[in-house]
Amino acid sequence: MSKKQLAFFVDSKRCLGCFTCAMACKNQYHQEKGVVWRNVYPLKDSIYPARERAFYSLACNHCERPVCLEVCPVKAYYKRESDGVVVHEQDKCIGCGNCIRSCPYGAPRLNPELHKAEKCSFCWQRLDAGLLPACVQSCPVDALQVVDLATFDRPDVVQYPPGFPEFERLNPSVRFRLPDQPLQFRRNDI
Amino acid sequence: MNMNDFPLVLFTVFSQAGIGLALVSAVRRFATPAGPADQSPGEWFAALALLALGMVFSLFHLGDPLRAANALKHLATSWLSREALSAGIAMACIAASAFMAKSGSGSRLMAALTAIAGVLVLFVMGMTYSPPSFPALNNALPFVFFCVTALAVGASASSLFVSAERAPLVRRILAVTLIVGLVIHLVAPCVWLSGGTVMARTGQAWLASPLFWASVALAYVIPLGVLWAKRSIPVWLPFAILAGELLGRLVFFTQTVHTASNLGGIY
Repeated sequence: MSKKQLAFFVDSKRCLGCFTCAMACKNQYHQEKGVVWRNVYPLKDSIYPARERAFYSLACNHCERPVCLEVCPVKAYYKRESDGVVVHEQDKCIGCGNCIRSCPYGAPRLNPELHKAEKCSFCWQRLDAGLLPACVQSCPVDALQVVDLATFDRPDVVQYPPGFPEFERLNPSVRFRLPDQPLQFRRNDI
Repeated sequence: MNMNDFPLVLFTVFSQAGIGLALVSAVRRFATPAGPADQSPGEWFAALALLALGMVFSLFHLGDPLRAANALKHLATSWLSREALSAGIAMACIAASAFMAKSGSGSRLMAALTAIAGVLVLFVMGMTYSPPSFPALNNALPFVFFCVTALAVGASASSLFVSAERAPLVRRILAVTLIVGLVIHLVAPCVWLSGGTVMARTGQAWLASPLFWASVALAYVIPLGVLWAKRSIPVWLPFAILAGELLGRLVFFTQTVHTASNLGGIY
């Protein structure tokens, strides 16, 4: 990928599950009650069978081929040429809910007051002002970062970790570092 | 249960009922040598009314229904835009067929065009409601479900208009549709149980839903029993099938599990 494509880098090795990123998003945009653009998902026992817990902080993945943009009948979505951010223009939205039904990552949410969709904007206004997205800036342990996939080349990251659905056609712009496997001490080790 | 689903339930079922009625009428146009004599203007107008009713219901699921016409803007990639356009074309064809039947100038060509437009709407609807976010439905099943709804309601409603000598053809169409519908509705959720986590949860949710079993009974089992016992289509049967299809569509929209419901778990 040579074109600039901003992405969230979710470092599960560092994430504490403190929800600061989700709260920072809420503080920035004051979404209606029940509407969340970013959320922190604990990994279930089937994936991470340990007393310690691990988390993914997830929002819109600003996919290379966003299904929300494809299915929207009124062209309320567009993808910025400059950085690949997928923007939803709520004034164009007619509230059909097609994007909400279609996004496999559940990024677009229904605003119950306006009866229109809305989703993570990657804080593009902040980006344009030279600032980091609110969620990234707020993370106390740098577990959430912004990377450019055109240049991001770390060997220890994956695009589809366990617990994150794989949709290759969409090519979600998000990368993960897996959590540490917890140490298990056996009687013989002591 | 999301209240936004109810207008979609009514929209899809009523519009498919209208298309099904038009399809069965068009089939009779070709299957019987009598031709125009078997064409009831009332049947075409009923099809038009059902489709129009469905279109009106579709407006109620929009947050901004006054700008519904904008839904035609994204024909390049949006199946919902194509659904709106194809439904409009089908409505125009059915209206033309209705007025031609009324004036006694109904033609085979118009009937064929209407049937093609109707099948096109069912296909486009099938594509619209099979997004990647619902693994159980991200395939041809929505199209098949919608065809079954169209033909089951359409053929049974057609019996209200058809002449006595043409009734056996309508009964055969209805019987075959009901058998296919029953088999698919029983097999699909069982197949889903052997799929991935989200697909299996969909199968479990459908099979555990009393609404699902009520819809199977009302739309397929009871009508098949009545057809077998009476060898005719009673006047109340189309309404029972319609009620069953409405319940089934409610299950379709409310019990199908979304991939985002299992983030952080195994897929």
